[in-house]
Amino acid sequence: MSAPVYPSGTVRALLATNLVTDATRAALQARLDAPVHEPEFFEPQTYALLQAVAARLIPQPDRAEPIDVAGGIDKRLAEGKADGWRYNAMPPDREAYRLGLGGINQAAQALHQQPFLALTEPQQDAVLEAVAAGTAPGENWQQLPIGRFFEEMLAELTENYYSHPLAQEEIGYVGMADVPGWTHIQPNDLEPREPKAD
Amino acid sequence: MPDEEVLEEGVLNPIKTEIQDPLLQAILEENGSPLAAPTELEQPAPLPDPVDEVDCVVIGTGAGGAPLLARLAMAGLKVVALEAGPRRNPITDYATDEKAQAFLFWNDERLSAGQNPVAFGNNNSGTGVGGSTLHYTAYTPRAQDDDLHLHRDFGVGVDWPFGIDELEPYYDELEQFLGVSGPTPYLWGAPRRRGYPLAPLPLNGAALLMQQACAQLGIQTSPAANAALSARYYQEGVGWREACTNRGFCQAGCNVGAKASMDVTFLPLAEAHGAEIRADAFVTEIERDEKGRVTGVVYEQYGVTVRQRCRHLFLCAGAVETPRLLLLNELALTSGQVGKHFMAHPGMQVWGTFSEDIRPYKGIPGGLISEDTHRPKDADFAGGYLLQSIGVMPVTFASQMARGRKLWGQQLRDYMRNYNHISGINILGDCLPHANNFLELAEEKDARGLPKPRLHFTAQENELRMNAHSEKLMREIWTAAGATDLWAYERYAHVIGTARMGLSGDDAVVNPDGRAFDVPNLYICDNSVFPSALSVNPALTIMALSLRTADKFLAAQARLDG
Repeated sequence: MSAPVYPSGTVRALLATNLVTDATRAALQARLDAPVHEPEFFEPQTYALLQAVAARLIPQPDRAEPIDVAGGIDKRLAEGKADGWRYNAMPPDREAYRLGLGGINQAAQALHQQPFLALTEPQQDAVLEAVAAGTAPGENWQQLPIGRFFEEMLAELTENYYSHPLAQEEIGYVGMADVPGWTHIQPNDLEPREPKAD
Repeated sequence: MPDEEVLEEGVLNPIKTEIQDPLLQAILEENGSPLAAPTELEQPAPLPDPVDEVDCVVIGTGAGGAPLLARLAMAGLKVVALEAGPRRNPITDYATDEKAQAFLFWNDERLSAGQNPVAFGNNNSGTGVGGSTLHYTAYTPRAQDDDLHLHRDFGVGVDWPFGIDELEPYYDELEQFLGVSGPTPYLWGAPRRRGYPLAPLPLNGAALLMQQACAQLGIQTSPAANAALSARYYQEGVGWREACTNRGFCQAGCNVGAKASMDVTFLPLAEAHGAEIRADAFVTEIERDEKGRVTGVVYEQYGVTVRQRCRHLFLCAGAVETPRLLLLNELALTSGQVGKHFMAHPGMQVWGTFSEDIRPYKGIPGGLISEDTHRPKDADFAGGYLLQSIGVMPVTFASQMARGRKLWGQQLRDYMRNYNHISGINILGDCLPHANNFLELAEEKDARGLPKPRLHFTAQENELRMNAHSEKLMREIWTAAGATDLWAYERYAHVIGTARMGLSGDDAVVNPDGRAFDVPNLYICDNSVFPSALSVNPALTIMALSLRTADKFLAAQARLDG
């Protein structure tokens, strides 16, 4: 089955209606209207590296303005917030991100003799494949469990992406428009406000 | 220990926190103390007048603390509940958005160790007035009698110190009080004195697909029992609660009031009978006299440290914070069982892609149940499990897909485009206690300067065999339903054990009435006292134990008074 393609604009249109609660609208509109994030935690160079890694893990060639998935990580680390747990084998989140991003650069140097930012997209993907497979070279991986780091970073970027109203449009999610409740809940039984795939 | 003279006034100087992270320290110094300050969503409640002494302090307002709080208040006792998290207004504060509801979870960092580190945060650890019930999915199956007797039946684990007859009257009372929606008669377990008070909630896409496939395979299914209202319902002490609107957001906060979380059921009832609930009150110390009796607790609220004296203490903070408080205060430790035998339910999931348009955000997430696997005939393990259909919200699904399936790049985005065509089944299985699975205090400190809890969990042979058995069966079901692109996700949820109940203080922390063997006026009531994990979701049993513990306590007081 080929992946469904949903019409764009559906979530933004719903946000203008009373099918969405004020609290829900406030949360989603804030993400749509967010200004460009300026790094507070990472050094500019490291932040550029994180953005480049994010662009390969969640590629957005179809978007003129990609959804910012790296900014949320910088903001969270600057605020010192946690999500309730971390792997005991991992250092605290700030240290983990610094070590892990450094390790990605070390792997890029070892595999392609250049920093990650200077590599072509296929070369960057090859570096990230090695990190995902746990085989990437780099001294930082002596201090940081490579598989866990990759998992944590990928999960956080993925959460940031699919929290965004435009990404929710992309997958046809309109659960936020729940004010009247849902009465058509059987398979293939859609409400008028649920967009159909083309 | 705090200065006695200052204590007389009921308000202490704030504890000087020990913060290890230099950046966090700098931020705190710059901005005051954001960790203790109320957020923009809540107004600080006026600080209570220091009360000399109350009959009972209850720590925690979830499934363990709220029912007994109401019971004790209704008996005329002066009771105070201390809740670490804030009090929210569900109607105005609960967005239908996963990130915006992160405040419902216990987000203080816990360290997860072992071969199968357990996720916390949005995986079953809540905070706020209502505790984890604010985001439980409100599944309310009853335990069966043999769930309490794994040792008798299989020679493994430990038995509960009583049989199901001790819980049955409370199950019945709770189902009626909460307004559980469910099938009558219920297909599995012992016959019941009464049916569920409300008809089952409607089946959504995942539930219907599972129902059809199970019928083909000869597996009995039934709409699940769920503590969300299928019709308006009158709640004693609360008034009318509205029916479920199939909003699908049960794993987060219900803004309709249909889900029987404690904030819309037992807590208003308790307050109607004079109980006082103090939100944003994080307990740090439990104080005792020279005889070892609890005399009061010390807690932090809005940056101020307060003492509350009490005649009896009920510790209902859940299977992580309860043993953490006991260990921090070196309390009730003589059995050596505090923090030991931590259990987590196997929650294996199998996901598939369907040609049908399912929209997994509609309807209660877990609409259909089967307990045919309660004691499978072909099992090579002790105990059993139940099967549940599952719907899911997109961020949760994408996140665990990234972790479990390890897709990234264009593959990840392509797969997620199928979100509306994806359905899951999962199990909720028993877990055996094991010496390698335990909670301890770590060297690393939290923002309050208290050691973080570290939990070790490694799935043992019995859990792994159960996972394999259930994965095979769930794949058969989803294949029969026409699913493609199946994948399984091994996960563990619910935190259980760590302060077990038993007949003797040699091997248990509390007696069958929930009273600590070591401390005559300390009761523990939450999932930490479960001697075994049960093969059903724990919430209803935690509430049943809560009411039973309150009744046992009140009966003991009556005897003393008489």
